[in-house]
Amino acid sequence: MFLAVRDLAFAKGRFVLMATVIVMVALMMVLLTGLSSGLVDRNISGIRALPITHIAFEFDDKPTWSNSMVERTTWEGWAEQSGVNAAVPLGNTLFNARTSKGDPVNVALWGMEPGTFIDPGANIGQPIGNDPYGVVVSRMLVEDNNVEIGDTIVLDRVLTELKVVGIVNAHNNIAHTPVVYAPFRLWAEASYGPPGGALPGESLPDILYDFATVVALDLEETADVAAIDDAQFTVTLDKPMSFVASTGYTAERDSVRINQGFLLVISTLVIGAFFTVWTIQRTQEIGLIKALGASTGYLVGDALAQAFMLLTLACIAGVLVGYGLGTYIVDRTDIPYVIDINAMLISGGLVIGGGLVGAALAVRTIAGIDPIIALGQLR
Amino acid sequence: MTITVDSVSLVLGDGDQKVTALESVSLSANAGSLCAVMGPSGAGKSSLLAVCGGLLPPTTGRVTIDGQDLTAMTENQRSRLRRERIGFIFQQSNLVAALTTMDQLLLMTHISGRTPNRENRDRARDLLNEVDLSHRAGHRPHQLSGGERQRVGIARALMSEPVVLLVDEPTSMLDQSRGREVVELLAKQTKQHGVATLMVTHDQANLPWADQVVNMEDGCLTRAAAGGPQS
Repeated sequence: MFLAVRDLAFAKGRFVLMATVIVMVALMMVLLTGLSSGLVDRNISGIRALPITHIAFEFDDKPTWSNSMVERTTWEGWAEQSGVNAAVPLGNTLFNARTSKGDPVNVALWGMEPGTFIDPGANIGQPIGNDPYGVVVSRMLVEDNNVEIGDTIVLDRVLTELKVVGIVNAHNNIAHTPVVYAPFRLWAEASYGPPGGALPGESLPDILYDFATVVALDLEETADVAAIDDAQFTVTLDKPMSFVASTGYTAERDSVRINQGFLLVISTLVIGAFFTVWTIQRTQEIGLIKALGASTGYLVGDALAQAFMLLTLACIAGVLVGYGLGTYIVDRTDIPYVIDINAMLISGGLVIGGGLVGAALAVRTIAGIDPIIALGQLR
Repeated sequence: MTITVDSVSLVLGDGDQKVTALESVSLSANAGSLCAVMGPSGAGKSSLLAVCGGLLPPTTGRVTIDGQDLTAMTENQRSRLRRERIGFIFQQSNLVAALTTMDQLLLMTHISGRTPNRENRDRARDLLNEVDLSHRAGHRPHQLSGGERQRVGIARALMSEPVVLLVDEPTSMLDQSRGREVVELLAKQTKQHGVATLMVTHDQANLPWADQVVNMEDGCLTRAAAGGPQS
């Protein structure tokens, strides 16, 4: 690294310019990572918060949270199988609604039997179950729509009036919609019952309560998922795979990844181009040092060390700036953004790795430089 | 003999483009002697230097340095020989732009894969002292005059304690008085360090310091004459 360090110090202007480009690339990678995590969070944080191992959907080639419907016999059938610790119904319906302050909101009404293993309880206020119309809301509704305990949320069309009795201290969402946890019967009536509920003096038919969206599962490793799926006519996905069944999740994740991929390719090419030009400019000098007796390995190692130093310093700067900007975005804006230190470090590492590939492609020309050029008349 | 060139021929190019750069060239130089190779441009002087330094393999013939046959070596072995046994001094000095005068010398230790120790640094200081450049140790090439750059080149060539110095037109970019100083210094260092020096030049004014003078024309040695050190 003898030459590498001295070159960096001597040709400051050129290297600062290149370092600035690398800082910007690393910064964009970090910001895209934060945005990607933020989008994912807005899409599946509600599912991620569930203490489940698997989700059973209605049988379908491409099961989704929006199209699945399972019957009572399905979750009861699942619950009887060996290796199944718990199998409970979970209802998911998206509603347009209006808060008692008059604000329109979109909510994902999740129906669950109170007290079952998927019941989130409440960090503030009461859990579901004490009041047949009592619901627990995601912190998202509190922050974005000023919903408070004691407020009501009226579902459009069915006109069901939900009473907010509790709040969970997490931004739980599904498909970018805040989750409202409701007793299973309330969810079933809102989803399948007539607008306005049962007529005075009448009750709704029991069959209304025999359907749910999915079966939330807590399975042992010994559970024979394929056999139970066959018997219950379901498709069971483990928890991470069930994210894919959420509307838009794959498209959002992939579009951000494609951007990151392009960014990596661009940075690799830019860094490769820089080191190619730099190596060409140094041809005479490299020929001289070879003539003095340096091996190609020594010169290539030195050039790669130089690229590594430049990339590392610039990426550290980019990640730090990204961390600062990320903190600002989280604290001061509504942009979906998550600061994930590991993901940021991986992003920085990818830029370093891609850059080294670019630099390696560039500096391989060192091998072809003939030391004879050091002798003036034979140049 | 420290360096022996034995019936060396060098043909460059292919087919119709073939050029005979050297033809049956033989010469030798002893430790502590300065051999000047005279001749006009295109005579083959630099080709001779390139073959002696292992930068070009001869088409036929042999070059031995300190008893080692250069022509039988691999490229890596020739690089190693250049690092350890040969000192090169180029036209225009050919220094590395980013390095200070002191670092130009320490580079020779680095390219051998070693980190300079105190002994290396002391040697570099002593050499800079010998070429009267101690006060320029922290300067980069663009801060030095042409003569100073050439003196740095001489000190750098001596850094790895070579047995042979190969010198390519050391005065071509210098005015007459500076050129004389450089060749005088070269002759002095040749004696002091006991190296065999082969100096390619087209400048007659450099000859008085040579112990041996050979003339080249069209790739052949045309005449060998004994020179004599200038007092």
